[in-house]
Amino acid sequence: MTVLKKLAGRAFRRSVWVYHCNSGACNGCDIEILNILTPYYDVERFGIRLVGSPRQADAILLSGAVTRPTLPLVKKAYQAVPAPKLVFAIGSCAIGGGCWYDTYNVTGGGEKAIPVHYFVPGCPPRPEAIIYGVALALGLVEKKVAPVELKQMEFPVDMYRQARLFEVNNVIYKLLGEEDDRLDSGRK
Amino acid sequence: MSRAEELVLWLRKELGGNLISAEATAPGRIFVDLKREALVTAAAGLMNRGARYQVGVGYDARKSGPGFALVHTFAFDKDSLLVAIRTFAPGDDPEFDSLTPFIPGAGWSEREYQDLLGLKFRNNPNSKRLVLSDDWPTGIYPLRQEVPHDLMPPAAEEVAFRLEEAPPGTSIVPFGPFHASLHEPAHFSVYVDGEDIKGCEYRGFMTHRGIEKLAQTELTYNDIPFVAERICGICGSVHSVNYAQAVEAAAGIRISRRAEFIRMVALELERLHSHLLWIGVAGHLIGFDTVFMQAWRIREKIMWLAERLTGNRKTYGMVIIGGVRRDINQDRSQDIRVVLREVEREMLSLEKAILKDRTIHKRTRGVGYLSPEEAVKWNLVGPVARARGLSIDARRDHPYAAYDEVEFEVPVADSCDVWGTLVVRLKEVYQAIRIINQCLDKLERLPRNEPLSVDLEGPIPPGRQGLSLVEAPRGEAVHYVLTGEDNRPGRWRVRAPTYPNLQAVPAMLLNNKLADFPIIVGSIDPCISCTDRVLVVERSSGQARLLSRQELESISRQKRSGK
Repeated sequence: MTVLKKLAGRAFRRSVWVYHCNSGACNGCDIEILNILTPYYDVERFGIRLVGSPRQADAILLSGAVTRPTLPLVKKAYQAVPAPKLVFAIGSCAIGGGCWYDTYNVTGGGEKAIPVHYFVPGCPPRPEAIIYGVALALGLVEKKVAPVELKQMEFPVDMYRQARLFEVNNVIYKLLGEEDDRLDSGRK
Repeated sequence: MSRAEELVLWLRKELGGNLISAEATAPGRIFVDLKREALVTAAAGLMNRGARYQVGVGYDARKSGPGFALVHTFAFDKDSLLVAIRTFAPGDDPEFDSLTPFIPGAGWSEREYQDLLGLKFRNNPNSKRLVLSDDWPTGIYPLRQEVPHDLMPPAAEEVAFRLEEAPPGTSIVPFGPFHASLHEPAHFSVYVDGEDIKGCEYRGFMTHRGIEKLAQTELTYNDIPFVAERICGICGSVHSVNYAQAVEAAAGIRISRRAEFIRMVALELERLHSHLLWIGVAGHLIGFDTVFMQAWRIREKIMWLAERLTGNRKTYGMVIIGGVRRDINQDRSQDIRVVLREVEREMLSLEKAILKDRTIHKRTRGVGYLSPEEAVKWNLVGPVARARGLSIDARRDHPYAAYDEVEFEVPVADSCDVWGTLVVRLKEVYQAIRIINQCLDKLERLPRNEPLSVDLEGPIPPGRQGLSLVEAPRGEAVHYVLTGEDNRPGRWRVRAPTYPNLQAVPAMLLNNKLADFPIIVGSIDPCISCTDRVLVVERSSGQARLLSRQELESISRQKRSGK
């Protein structure tokens, strides 16, 4: 992510113009995207501006699950944006397809169609969240949460075997008889 | 004798042996079962007696019943009466008579089931097969029971729209699918002669997400309100309330009055922010961005209020079957009153600015004209119909929740154009504020121990029909529910208000200037995601063809008169 951030900082030094691409959204995210232009949020103070054509844009705000008919259209819109370009997936549907991720006419989230760089979660995300997402990509703000690294613990097979052997060999467990069987079946 | 009894008697006399049953299960609802030979007679008779066509519902009943079923619903607005006529066809011969020749508004409903259920319609003027999406394979009908909800046939890349050729003497200007003036994907191929629009072909239904199939196969009764809310990002509670009402009507559940008033507050708050949104977008579409900024500034207060009341700005999550989930207590209702007072004060100054602005007058007066007769023909609903002199409002004509206990007016304009829709919406904002204030008064007087939601007495029995109307900000939304097995509906059909209104857009566009296209399409406040939840692709709808015929006629007439 830091590489991407550096690249974004270098490529988008000046005002970023964004293109709003609705690939099958319910209107919720679209309205919140429009809402960031209005007086209370006013993103033009950061130089962010909505434009009507992908050819003028630096970034795409993708909202909504990508449906079957819009899949080729989203790809075309992405190709029309001149490089370097950023893609933001706005809202749950654009991130992973939302609650209809696997129906017969929904192909899934935005990543199924085009490469997505930033995800803004929410159903719909608040205008503040959208502004924060774009500002984060441009290096205007710091990330609020520290990255948490998750590590998968390796299962201690040896210790498990030793413990099992101890149980099996221990006289007390043998004396328990039926209890022991129950324990075994429960473990299986 | 009440109107309902009179209608049932008339149906018995008119149809004789073709009538299987006719029962009034709830006040204001008649459910009729017919043999399929009598469908046209019954529908034509109802239309002659002053009914307004609403929607067609098709479903697959091959496992439990006699085959495919088709329900058409009609509304008698003056008598607060809804009539649903149901016919069946055997599974190996799913053919019905088409209603489109005399009810043009039935065209989309019929093509929907041609596509999704494989039904056939005799005498349909546009019998061209309706394709799901351009690359969907033939012979797979997603709403049939044997088709799983997640079936995804492999996509074929590079499938282009097969749009029709422009009529002679005109050229095509394409709008969409992604266009700056349309905030949702939809394609209009507009035929222009110079600057004048001479016709239009619509190809939309791209935001179809298969919600109805999902509800019938995966979800349970109480999951659906939360998915219904996500049909549309603006009128979410309209759909969840409507669905809950339909299930409650089918199962005979009575909810508490407290819950009814809380639902009404949610609905009217939505109307407030939706109308302010529209006023802003309309200003934006005619290039008057100050209106956009001011209207959305006022609207933002309502969004914050909604967040305080429900925890979310849009998807409220308030409604469940049998009631609501959150209460509006004394503090909250005081909050609402304060915000409404502010909104009303600011609206008055905004209204003055809008109504006295010459630019807005010039851009909206006489634009998108549609005569009241045409409006009746296309079954227009909501502010679009009320701007054309038709006084229809589901809140007054078919009262639901507790709308019969509050006072409000239904504003009507007679200018039949975009200006009329603007005036109607501006006035409705004040009516919504008035209704919310009355609801809060009544809520405060209700006993505090009234439950928010009632417990259901056992499972909901299968095979019952429920029909519900809610006046959404855009017009009347219809939900039809057939209860089913496994704690989920057997069929749930949503008809959004944009569904009939959008069918009439080509008629409104005719002979207007191309520059007015965005505001005319915008004037119906199109909510394409609501409309598309079940359809996928609609190519060359009947009315577009009809228009090109009209247009050809007018051209030939002009030629004859030597212009």
